[in-house]
Amino acid sequence: MFEIKHDTDGIVTLHGRFDASQIDAARAAFESITRSCTMDFGDLTYVSSAGLGLLFATQKRLVDRGEAITLTNLNPHIREIFSIAGFDNIFEIK
Amino acid sequence: MAGARREFPRKIESLSEIFAFLEEFADEHEFDARTVFCINLVVEELFTNMVRHNLGGADTVTLGLDHDDEQVFLELIDIDVEPFDPSTVEPVPVDAGVDSRRPGGLGVHLVRTMVDDLKYDYLVEDRCMRISVRKTLEQ
Repeated sequence: MFEIKHDTDGIVTLHGRFDASQIDAARAAFESITRSCTMDFGDLTYVSSAGLGLLFATQKRLVDRGEAITLTNLNPHIREIFSIAGFDNIFEIK
Repeated sequence: MAGARREFPRKIESLSEIFAFLEEFADEHEFDARTVFCINLVVEELFTNMVRHNLGGADTVTLGLDHDDEQVFLELIDIDVEPFDPSTVEPVPVDAGVDSRRPGGLGVHLVRTMVDDLKYDYLVEDRCMRISVRKTLEQ
């Protein structure tokens, strides 16, 4: 199960497993992000290339308009995936 | 070695059943957390590639799991499909920034990077693709 929540303080939190079966349901929530935000991965346990692709597309759309997503609280396994994917060059990761 | 093998319907929605199958096998054999994450990712990437690209194939894809004291072995078998060797996919420009980067190819890149061996076989007579993976367990 995967969930994305827009908190009132501008933080976007991801929960659960972000795999290929969740992409269609998650797409609208990502498309609704139009301003710079912090995305909290603290409750995200898993992400595959499908989730990375949607994150990348969202970041690219935002950067083109001078905005950006910053990522926080990546677990060590997801952090490793981001490093292998070269996403250190795509996102600011805190 | 104590292996397990199961067929899964050729659809993305099979992923939840596949993850449950992997979790059961990993729990039974007490795999470490990094290996569990890795085999989930590798199987998802290979399975979803088969679902998306091997159009017209059999109704199911077979997933086999095995291990010894040091390694885990994964095998995905897809029948009645065209040949496609994932090792031929162009490398991903991981050093590129967001402006010059293009989406795509990440799944194969992650798989190739995270496993110790990725082997592709294709039997022309049966139109059968078999992808075999070997991954060293964490100590």
